[in-house]
Amino acid sequence: MAKSVGIFVTSPRYMRHVIGITKAAVARGSKVKVFFSWFSTHLTQCSDFPALCAMENVDVSICADSYKNCGYDVKDIPAGLDDKKMATQAQHGVIIDDYDCYLTL
Amino acid sequence: MSKKACFLFVNKEYTLDGIRSALGLAVENMYSYGVVMYNELEYVNDYHKENIDWVRDMEGDVFTTVDGNVEKHGLTKITLEEIGEKLRDMDIIVPYGIMRSDKS
Amino acid sequence: MKLLNVYRTTPNDDVKKLVEIVSRDREAQSFDLNVEAPDYNKMLDMVFDADQTICWW
Repeated sequence: MAKSVGIFVTSPRYMRHVIGITKAAVARGSKVKVFFSWFSTHLTQCSDFPALCAMENVDVSICADSYKNCGYDVKDIPAGLDDKKMATQAQHGVIIDDYDCYLTL
Repeated sequence: MSKKACFLFVNKEYTLDGIRSALGLAVENMYSYGVVMYNELEYVNDYHKENIDWVRDMEGDVFTTVDGNVEKHGLTKITLEEIGEKLRDMDIIVPYGIMRSDKS
Repeated sequence: MKLLNVYRTTPNDDVKKLVEIVSRDREAQSFDLNVEAPDYNKMLDMVFDADQTICWW
């Protein structure tokens, strides 16, 4: 069985890598979890963010505090997410504890 | 066994929120450390000071290579070589945010 | 201990020094994400094979 992959995103620069790595991992049977924090929550505004969220075997969440501190209203939930995915830094802990491979982008 | 994580902060726009992330892992029962490189912390309020204190209370620490952060904010001094040695002992290493070419 | 160093940008001298120290006496490989079209499948092969991956800035 393919190893699972967790991606902690803190940079707003690398959506293409987030998408590229996630697609490649899912294609080989991996489960992927992506957690966006701080300025990377701006990536929720990218046109391909909803498609990332909709991918099978991919769990996407964001840090709600970061989103708010980046100027967004937490009630304005990005397309692709629901209120349960407006989360806390505990999601980073889940990536570390429950996923086989850890990446930072 | 609790995992050990170390965040590396190289950009002042990312550091204070990054320390909040480091605290987040400490709360999840990990040994969590941060290292502030290149920049002197700015706009440190009571909330940020509490975050640093909590990281320390939970057996982590916030280090810095910058003397001003030791003198003004009480961070623990560390050299680049010492960071490298410390990283060898970590399960998780988080080069946080973005590196600016002028290191500011 | 198999270590994978992933580079998102060109590493500066400090990053090179840190990589040198963390890679000492370990089986270390590297992957450069800072190219036009990274081979994500190749990267994942390396990530899955490594005990630890560090994604430097």
